[in-house]
Amino acid sequence: MSTNSVASGLQRARSGVGAGGSGPIGPHKRKLLSARAWTLILFAVPSLVLLLLINLYPVVYAAIQSVRNGDLIDPGNFVGFANYANILSQPSFWKAALFTLIFTVTGVFGSWLIGLALALLLRTRIPAGGVFKVLLLLPWVVPVVVSATSWNWLVATPQSPLPILAQSLGLGNVLFLADPVLAQVTVCVFKVWISFPFMMMMMSSALASVDLNLYEAAKVDGAGSWQAFTHITMPLISRSTYISWILMTIFCVNDFPTIFLLTGGGPVNSTTSLVVLAYRTVFQNFQTGPGVAIAFVMTLVLVVISVVLYRQIRKVNIE
Amino acid sequence: MTSQSNGAAFTRRGFIGLAGGAAATTILAACSTGGSSSGGKPIKFWNMPWGSTAFNAEDKKITLAYKPAAGLGAATYQVIQWANFTQTFSSAVASNTGPAVSSGGGTQAFQFEAQNKIAYADNLLDSWKSNGLYDDFLPGLIDTMKVDKGYAAVPYNLDMRVMWYSKSLMDKAGATVPTDWQTYLDAAAALKKIGVYGYGTAAGAGAFTGGHILVSWMINNGGGLFDENHAPNCVTSANIEAMQFVLEMVNKGYVDPASSTYTSDNAQSQWKAQKFGLGWDTAGLAQNVGGTVGPDLVVGSPLTGPSGKKGALYFPNNIMMYKNTPSQKGSEAFLTYYFQNMKPLWTKGTGIGLPPLKSITQTTEFQASANNVKVIEEWQPIARTWAAPGGNALFLGVTAVDGTPAMDTFTQGILGGKVDAKSALTTLENSIKDTLKK
Repeated sequence: MSTNSVASGLQRARSGVGAGGSGPIGPHKRKLLSARAWTLILFAVPSLVLLLLINLYPVVYAAIQSVRNGDLIDPGNFVGFANYANILSQPSFWKAALFTLIFTVTGVFGSWLIGLALALLLRTRIPAGGVFKVLLLLPWVVPVVVSATSWNWLVATPQSPLPILAQSLGLGNVLFLADPVLAQVTVCVFKVWISFPFMMMMMSSALASVDLNLYEAAKVDGAGSWQAFTHITMPLISRSTYISWILMTIFCVNDFPTIFLLTGGGPVNSTTSLVVLAYRTVFQNFQTGPGVAIAFVMTLVLVVISVVLYRQIRKVNIE
Repeated sequence: MTSQSNGAAFTRRGFIGLAGGAAATTILAACSTGGSSSGGKPIKFWNMPWGSTAFNAEDKKITLAYKPAAGLGAATYQVIQWANFTQTFSSAVASNTGPAVSSGGGTQAFQFEAQNKIAYADNLLDSWKSNGLYDDFLPGLIDTMKVDKGYAAVPYNLDMRVMWYSKSLMDKAGATVPTDWQTYLDAAAALKKIGVYGYGTAAGAGAFTGGHILVSWMINNGGGLFDENHAPNCVTSANIEAMQFVLEMVNKGYVDPASSTYTSDNAQSQWKAQKFGLGWDTAGLAQNVGGTVGPDLVVGSPLTGPSGKKGALYFPNNIMMYKNTPSQKGSEAFLTYYFQNMKPLWTKGTGIGLPPLKSITQTTEFQASANNVKVIEEWQPIARTWAAPGGNALFLGVTAVDGTPAMDTFTQGILGGKVDAKSALTTLENSIKDTLKK
């Protein structure tokens, strides 16, 4: 094949004709979309519009509400970013943000540690492991309304089982919900208790994908249990770990019922998280603007955290 | 052999017949008047679950038994659940698909009145002067509904906050039933000696009674939260004295230290466990506690405050009419019928709050409960609304204190005992101002 014929072939290829084809070399009239493609798009349009309406409309509507000074009845007037400036200057917002941080960090890492430990335990052959797995899932499966009622029964009054236990241990009258610090601890423990089954399932599935031969090889090389855990198990389940952290972070930051049903955000706002603050601002103070603004700030923070953790996942994939 | 229906049996003739039938039904339904034989468009009545399930069943029966005069519409009935009721009403009213007549939250009428959505009840109340209904209302009740432009609603059922004591525990402690603040302290001290709390209350998740009682103490001392211009005015000597009194009880251990986080159920458990011997709750406490302890609970008489005054907080729940009605005359006719026939809601023990009409309080069934009679005879006449001491008529601003974060924080702070009265009241006043300032 001469140089010319090679160039001609490439030219043909660029024009949409096979290099060996016999079609004319010239500008190829390309149709942007075929009739079939248009038909498919037309079929997809109703679903797309529906999806946009379902997902986009509430967000856009909420964004509009966050820059107005309305209530649940009256949309109010446009006030620009005054609601955002207002909430960011409120000590109650920062107090709620701090508790949200404590609640989220405890909720994510507390439940992850317990979930991972149980997943590792359940990986070993223990009698009736399946039954244990089902029982351990119960806190996740039981509706939070039921759990909160049970926990209230456990800790609320001096006649409740845990205060009686504390009394018998010589700790005095322990006010699990009435003392601001203890109330925070109780709410965080409640969250860990509710959430560890989810982490256990995530970690169990991640551990199931780890090749057991790697441990055999490490053992032959003289690695101990801890070294195998830190150098084999953890790196191999890190992707699932990051995903579970992202999910649990979202669950914790957006968790309303766990806190509201147990303490209502009290005492004296000590367990008021941002989502509880947003709810109370909108539905108890009837101030939709600042309430929705709080929700938007929360969303922004969640997006940032999620992006950071997703980058970690990508890093893991590349490595 | 009988034939079996299958797809092939669904003929074109059959389809046309079915479609024709359906169309005819639709047309007939569109032409009907919702059961009214008189031709007017139906009056939509939305009511809340004010009592047990028996309440709405009985209420519906009363509503649907309404026979309108010629030209007026019959009534339809809809139960609106308390969950998210504000959104339910606001979206319906905003889209003009709401009711013509409804009950709702205690301050709902005043919120909608501010939005120009309420049909004032002035003409209705005038018409009730001639049929005896107007004079049948308990004293001062109708006035609580008066706003600048007219009556925003009509009183429907009363939610009272009263003092309760356990007869057996008071006897055991050798305490006498308190009549003023000092004797209250004496009774609480006596109860403490037998390991019982003398200030039973609840201010935890969803329990607003704790805050209501604090305001009751203020009103009992001639104070309250709002002045005559409806502006928050909390830092007054009467209020400071009242809160200092409560703080004294907290510090002396008369108040259960966990009560700031008690739900209503927790408080009732404490009454059941005989850990509360004296305290404050709704008029339905004895019924809610039930069992062997319920019948032992007795409503005390209102206390005389240091200022020599009596007073307590109460909530006159109400029924309102909306401008969006097929006929204002129809709304008023229905409400007249409803108020003339609603007696069974109380006489049949449906669990609704206390009645607004004297005639119902005089029935044999109502008089059978000594506690209820005491509440109506002794507490209702001295009770005031959120608007005290500036006035008695409710207004939009009370939404800033009724179950709001500001009031919760204030209540939990006082019941926690780690604040001083003046600074707590100052914080409350500032929070109310912030909430009102939009």
